[in-house]
Amino acid sequence: MPRVSRSPVKFVRAALQWGTVGACLVVGIRYARGASLTSVERYCPFGGLETLGALITKRSFSCATGETNLALFLALVALTVVSRKAFCGWVCPVGTLSEAIRAIQNRLQWFRPPWTMSGPADQALRWVRLPILAIILYFTYKTGELVFRGYDPYYILFSAHGHDVKAWSYGILAGILILTAVVPMGWCRYLCPLGGALWPLSRAGILRIRRDGATCTDCGRCDRSCPQSIPVSRERDVVSGECTLCLECIEACPSKSVLALSTPGGFRA
Amino acid sequence: MRVTPWFVPLAVVVAAAAGVGGARLFTAPSYVRAYAAAAAHPGTGTRDPVTSHFVVAGLRCVDTARTMAGLLDEVPGVIRCECFASRNEARVTFDPGVTTPATLKEAIEGPVYDSTSFRFEYGLYRVLRMDGRDVANGAEG
Repeated sequence: MPRVSRSPVKFVRAALQWGTVGACLVVGIRYARGASLTSVERYCPFGGLETLGALITKRSFSCATGETNLALFLALVALTVVSRKAFCGWVCPVGTLSEAIRAIQNRLQWFRPPWTMSGPADQALRWVRLPILAIILYFTYKTGELVFRGYDPYYILFSAHGHDVKAWSYGILAGILILTAVVPMGWCRYLCPLGGALWPLSRAGILRIRRDGATCTDCGRCDRSCPQSIPVSRERDVVSGECTLCLECIEACPSKSVLALSTPGGFRA
Repeated sequence: MRVTPWFVPLAVVVAAAAGVGGARLFTAPSYVRAYAAAAAHPGTGTRDPVTSHFVVAGLRCVDTARTMAGLLDEVPGVIRCECFASRNEARVTFDPGVTTPATLKEAIEGPVYDSTSFRFEYGLYRVLRMDGRDVANGAEG
């Protein structure tokens, strides 16, 4: 019987995640109904990265991007340097829905994929995000338009059938959701361009999960709880660029002292 | 050094607040147009140029900003238009001796010729606020 517990930090994480999903839905629906001029695009930090090239060379923003996108992106860079991909695990609404699909599969024991993506195949597939990122940035810069808006699951989900969302966009969204069901966190791990952009920064992040090998019983619960399939039980310091500091591994660990959030200097248990 | 797990949500909230609040530090237009007509209509020459601020529904990207700025092409006295698409805002600089904000509003809300359908489209842009005043329901203009 799995241990059922709900620490206050875990509760706060869920509140932040679902609060963001709710806020995005409200913003999207209000915009679609004409009650507000603020689109969900305004709060996408990836827009800040997309417009960076135009801002530097042309002194203007691309398409519908603006100051908020840029400021959110810069804040995201700072957050990532300190707390790795905390954005992905604590805020990103697409990440939240991906986690929800995984949780539902686990809860209902429904179509749980018998495989786990790890090892060299997993590592190789994570590089796919970089060419996707390069293509998006190149064409956004060349055209000055957010040409991939119709492919963006965040925009398709929360814009309430916004501008550039076509029938095929929902097909793409369905494909992404199916991928997420077949490969846990598939979009985040292999396709998300923002995840690709944050990857190197996250790898150099200051905070990390530290494991005390002397007291660890190698039960493997931390490995199984990690949404990103990071082999926590084989690391001393989890310095993976994929770690979202969701703290699920600490939560899953039966001992209170084996895993802890730490700075590079670490601690000695 | 051990760090309390509460540091992570705190960092996330601080970053989100800095991101939304920090937007005020950056200002760059999405689209800028300087009008040749201003040179052809030099105006009275007795008054300094004035800039009016418009919040415009329909102004949402560079493309719509370009089209909206095009509506001011034939308005005498318009010197420059800066569009901030993410804020739905346009700043129009004009010669007050030649034109007025009300004329600019009328021009912005005018029909747009669609060269693909060969028809005029109406109501693409609607001025909601003009120099801080609510004008959405024709209260002023």
